[in-house]
Amino acid sequence: MIDNTRSFRVKRVFGFGMMWVLLFFAALPTVWVLIMSFREQSVMFEAFWKSPLAVTLDNYLGITRSDFPKALLNSFICAGLSTLLAMIVGVPAGFALAKSRLSGKFYASWLLLLLRMAPPVGFVIPLFLLYVNAGLIDSYFGLIMAYMTLTLPLIVWSMWNSFAQVPDELIEAAIMDGASLGKAFLLVALPAARPGAVAAAILGFLIVWNDFFYALIITRSSTVTAPVAVMNFISYDSVDWGSIAVASIALTLPILPLMVIANRYIVQSLSGAVKG
Amino acid sequence: MKKFLSTLFSATVLAGVVSTSSVVNAADELNVVMFGMPYTKGLAALADDFEAKTGIKANIDVIGQDVFENRITLSFTGKSGDIDVVHTPVIQVQRWVSAGWLKPITAEVDAMAVKSDIMAGPLDAYKINGEQWAVPYMAATGLMTYRKDILEEAGVEVPQTWEDMLSVAAKIHNDDTAAIAMRAVPGQGFNMFIFPMVMRAYGGKFFEDYTGGDLTPAINSPETLEALNVYMKLLNDYGPQGAGNFNFAEVQAAAQNGQIAFAVEGTGIAASLVDPEKSKFADKTGITLPPAGPAGRSPAIAVHGLGIPASAKNPELSAKFIEWAVSTETMTKIALAQPFSNFTTQPVAQNEEVVAKYSKVHPDFLTVQAEALNLAIGHYRPLLPEWPALGQAIGENINAALNGLSSPEEALEAAEQEMRDILGN
Repeated sequence: MIDNTRSFRVKRVFGFGMMWVLLFFAALPTVWVLIMSFREQSVMFEAFWKSPLAVTLDNYLGITRSDFPKALLNSFICAGLSTLLAMIVGVPAGFALAKSRLSGKFYASWLLLLLRMAPPVGFVIPLFLLYVNAGLIDSYFGLIMAYMTLTLPLIVWSMWNSFAQVPDELIEAAIMDGASLGKAFLLVALPAARPGAVAAAILGFLIVWNDFFYALIITRSSTVTAPVAVMNFISYDSVDWGSIAVASIALTLPILPLMVIANRYIVQSLSGAVKG
Repeated sequence: MKKFLSTLFSATVLAGVVSTSSVVNAADELNVVMFGMPYTKGLAALADDFEAKTGIKANIDVIGQDVFENRITLSFTGKSGDIDVVHTPVIQVQRWVSAGWLKPITAEVDAMAVKSDIMAGPLDAYKINGEQWAVPYMAATGLMTYRKDILEEAGVEVPQTWEDMLSVAAKIHNDDTAAIAMRAVPGQGFNMFIFPMVMRAYGGKFFEDYTGGDLTPAINSPETLEALNVYMKLLNDYGPQGAGNFNFAEVQAAAQNGQIAFAVEGTGIAASLVDPEKSKFADKTGITLPPAGPAGRSPAIAVHGLGIPASAKNPELSAKFIEWAVSTETMTKIALAQPFSNFTTQPVAQNEEVVAKYSKVHPDFLTVQAEALNLAIGHYRPLLPEWPALGQAIGENINAALNGLSSPEEALEAAEQEMRDILGN
């Protein structure tokens, strides 16, 4: 039944109004950065309606000549591989923790949570000294391993949760039909826990993609990631606002499609969707 | 399961392939860490020159200043030895030396043929307890830019003193174009790079007798108070909107957009305001020394150089790199490739191409800069290990007064008290 009363219409208009105000408020910085990225350096802080024609592609062209694209690639490599490796190790681990009758599971869960809760600064200094002595500073391997301390607990924890929602009977039925445990895991349990797996992978990727602190300490010129490289546009006596704007857009763009996918799967995984 | 294992295996192999375990301190490699400015960017572009000359590969990392501070602090306190040559601002050198972070390089510098070509003032700024701790490559000074067209229209001359500046500002200030902008954000490199120009011009000082060794804080004086009142009146009454929280980037943007008539800034920003490629008002902009006061003129000075960390594993190679980096040949190449006019290796100024390049930016540029360098005192900002903390504390009080959070008298009293607390006297 559609409510057409006056009070409902007023409420609805008010609700939409609030939504648009909030949306405007949230989107304003992004829109501003987008405008800045097309502005000439000399009119960067002038109101754009005062000189609407002072637009340029120089900021975009300039950034392709800088080291930033390499840093963006580094971010992809590190976020992609650390998530992939954490999934390869973490998904079976989550399955084992959810379905086996291991003793000490309680402690394992707390240990994992502790890893997630500990502030990175607690890890980074010992990690830095270890890496210097092991020659792992400014190496992809070192950086990816460091990032796994962020992604692995997240993935194990959330996959543990996802697999716990898959009914034991489903796996038992597969084994009764002659499947090995590995097959039951890959062909039965994993597809059932797919929304959780996708959500965990995306969240893991985003954590690494946005990381500044680990990259600040562990990387140097050859493996520097994008969030740290953005800071290099601020120099001693000038701030290259145009390049910072372009770099911010470049850092945000790859996340948009991921967020769209994540949105769907995170909702599914939260509502515990399991197809029988 | 087989498929799973093979995926795991290939991923591990892939990770191994892409990992480029970079070499830290191999015998023929050097790691140089610097923060971004025209000279350092120019030096990084010449890394191949160094390798061709010496056979040593230099990994020159030019990074943002915040990233730089974090990296070196971690590296020096952890004595990790992963940095062979480090960007050493003179304002930090006392603190680094007292923390044992730098290696004395007196013998190495004495052996450099280029030593006699380096300006004595900036070189001596790195001398502490009789030892040399770094070699300068640039000395930026405080300069003033002014809009010739605005002054002409108002029928006023370029102000020679801060007093003149107040009366000129009153005449030219209007809603479209403010009279003046200067750095106001608190920090030893922000408002405390600019404010001492006013303070020293009025005879204000940080200590009772810095050169005589009496480090009793003396910032709470009638002279500094007069200077603070001038600085506040200029920015509050004749500055653009929000001037109380401007930093160099905002001052630069305001001048480039034609929102201000005067800017008192460092060489780098001042150069960008008179360079036709960087500002559309460049042809209407003049450049001169910052105004004087009853006690004379005291342009700001900031010296930057290259030092060797105490934990560096191969100091001979590091010294070789520094000698190459400050050589006339390298400096000349950078002065031509970058907006880098404040070099401290003197013969570069005799190079015809360099002279021609900077005369084209502005005919008076090199002469005004040389004049400012002559007038500047080495301890413009005190060369003490505690200066970064002192500068921050004083800067915050100056900014508080400017923004009406305290009266100028209260601000100076608080600044002096905080100085005493930091110095423990």
